[in-house]
Amino acid sequence: MKHLNVTSPYRRWYRHSALPVGIFLILLLWSLIDLKISPRLFLEGIPHFFNLVGEMFPPNWEVFWKGKILWSILETLSMAFVGTFLGAIVAFFFGIFGASDLSPSPLLREVTKRLLAAERAIPPLIYILLLVVVIGLGPFAGMIVIALGTIGMLGKLFAEAIETIDPKPLESLESAGANKLQIIRYAVLPQVIPSLIANTLYRFDINLRVALFLGVVGGGGVGVDLQMAMSLFRYADALAITVVTLIVIWVAERISDYLRRKVIGQEILQ
Amino acid sequence: MNILKRYSSILIPSTLLALLLWGGLKVCRVDLTVIIKGIPRGIELFSHMFPPDWGKIPGLIEPALETLQIAFVGTVLGGFLSFFIGLVAAKNIHSIRTLRDTVRVLLSAERALPDLIVMLFFVAIVGLGAFPGVMALVASSVGMLGKLFADAIEEVDPRPLESLEALGATKAQIIHFAVLPQILPSLVANTLYRFEVNIRMSILLGVVGAGGIGFYLVTSIRLMRYQEAMAAILIILVLVTLCEKSAEIIRKRIIGQEILR
Repeated sequence: MKHLNVTSPYRRWYRHSALPVGIFLILLLWSLIDLKISPRLFLEGIPHFFNLVGEMFPPNWEVFWKGKILWSILETLSMAFVGTFLGAIVAFFFGIFGASDLSPSPLLREVTKRLLAAERAIPPLIYILLLVVVIGLGPFAGMIVIALGTIGMLGKLFAEAIETIDPKPLESLESAGANKLQIIRYAVLPQVIPSLIANTLYRFDINLRVALFLGVVGGGGVGVDLQMAMSLFRYADALAITVVTLIVIWVAERISDYLRRKVIGQEILQ
Repeated sequence: MNILKRYSSILIPSTLLALLLWGGLKVCRVDLTVIIKGIPRGIELFSHMFPPDWGKIPGLIEPALETLQIAFVGTVLGGFLSFFIGLVAAKNIHSIRTLRDTVRVLLSAERALPDLIVMLFFVAIVGLGAFPGVMALVASSVGMLGKLFADAIEEVDPRPLESLEALGATKAQIIHFAVLPQILPSLVANTLYRFEVNIRMSILLGVVGAGGIGFYLVTSIRLMRYQEAMAAILIILVLVTLCEKSAEIIRKRIIGQEILR
C-alpha cells in the first residue's frame, strides 16, 4: 500500500505553519552551531563513559568513616524538612490572605498574590547567592531558600484550594455569628487540610532535590561533597556518596508517598 | 474527656513531628541572632548592588543567549527523543512487551535521579561546557516527557487506528495519520511547559560547569562585584519572564486553534 487515499490532515497545517516552523528550524540550527554541538562530541564521550564507570567501581565505602559525609546527608535532609515545614506554615497564612472568600480586604489579597508571583519568578540561585553573603555558608541559608520557594508555590496552591471550597458551611457559620477564626477552624480547615498536606508532601519531594543542589552554591549538605569528589576525580568516593544519597532520598520519598496516600484517603477533623 | 479522645489520634503524630522539627532545626543550625546580625549586612549588600552596572549589560547578552540556547536545544532534542520513546513505551502501538517494560523502568529511574547528579556525571564524561549541560537537560526532559507522551499515546481514540490498520496501512502510516494528529497539541503544550522548567535548570547548571549567565552571576558575587551581579540578576529575571511569556503565548495559540482538523 503505497498511497493512502485520504486527504492529508496536515495539508492545511503545512500551509499555515511554514513560516513558524522555518523560523524554529533556523533557530535550532543556529543554536547547535553556536554551542558547537555535534554528534562527534557524543561519540567521543562513549569511551570516556566506560573509563568513568571503570574508575567508579568498586565504590569506596571508606569515605563514610573518614569525613562527615553522613552528617552532610543529614543536613540535606533537615534543610528540606525544616524548609518545607516552616514554608508551609507561612504559606497557609498567605493562602488565607490570598483567597477571595476569606481575605480581609481586596487590596491585601492583591498584594499577597503579587508577592507570591514575584517569589516564583525569581530563581533560587539568586536567593542563595545573596543569603550566603548576608548570613554565611551553611544549612541555615539553604533552609531559608527552600522555605521561600515553598511559600511561593504552596501559597498559590493553598489560596486556590481555599477559594474552591464548598461555601455553605462558611455561610451558615457566618450567619450564626461566628468570628473569622472560628470560621477558619470549623468551615475551612476540615475541607482543605487533606489537599494542604498532600501538596506539602509533594513539595517536600521537590525540596529534597533543591537541597542537594543548594549544597553546591554554599547552602550546606551533601551536594558540595559530591561535587568536590567529582571535580577531584575521586570517582569511587563519588559513587559511594551518590548511592547512599539516592537511598536516603528514595526512603524519604516513600515515606512521603505513604503519608500522602493515607491523608487523601481519610477525612481528618470531620 | 471527649476532647481528649478526639485529639489523642493526632497526639502521637504531632509529638513525632515536633521532635523531628526540633532535630532538624538543630542540624540546620537555625539561629535567630544570625538573622538579626544579618539585617545590617543585607542592607549594606543592597547599597553595594545599586545602581546596577548598566555598562556591563551588553557583555551579558552573550552568556544569557548561551543559557537560552542550552535550554532550547535541550528541550527540542529531549522532546524529539521522547516522542519515539513514548511510541515504544505505549501499549497500543504493539511494541514488544519486554522492551516496553524496560523503557518504562528506565524512565522512572531517570526521574528518581536528581538533576545535579545527572549533570555532574555528564561533566565527568564530556568535560565542562555547553554540551554536558544540553545532555543533562535532554536526559531529564526525556524522563518526564517520555512518560507523558507514552500516556498520551495510550489514551488516543482507537477507532482511526483500527480503521487504518484494517486498510493495511503500515505502522509509520498509522502513527502519521491516526496517532500524531490526536496527540500533537498535548505534545507541544507539554514540551513548552518543559522549556519553562529547562530555562531555570539551565541557569542553575551554569554553576556546575555549563557556563552561561548562571556562571557569570556566581563569579561576580564571589569576586564581590555586586553592581555587576545586580546587572546579571536583572538579565536573569528578564530572560525567565520572556521565556515564560512566549511559551504561554505559543501554548494559547496552539491549544486555542485545533490544529490538523
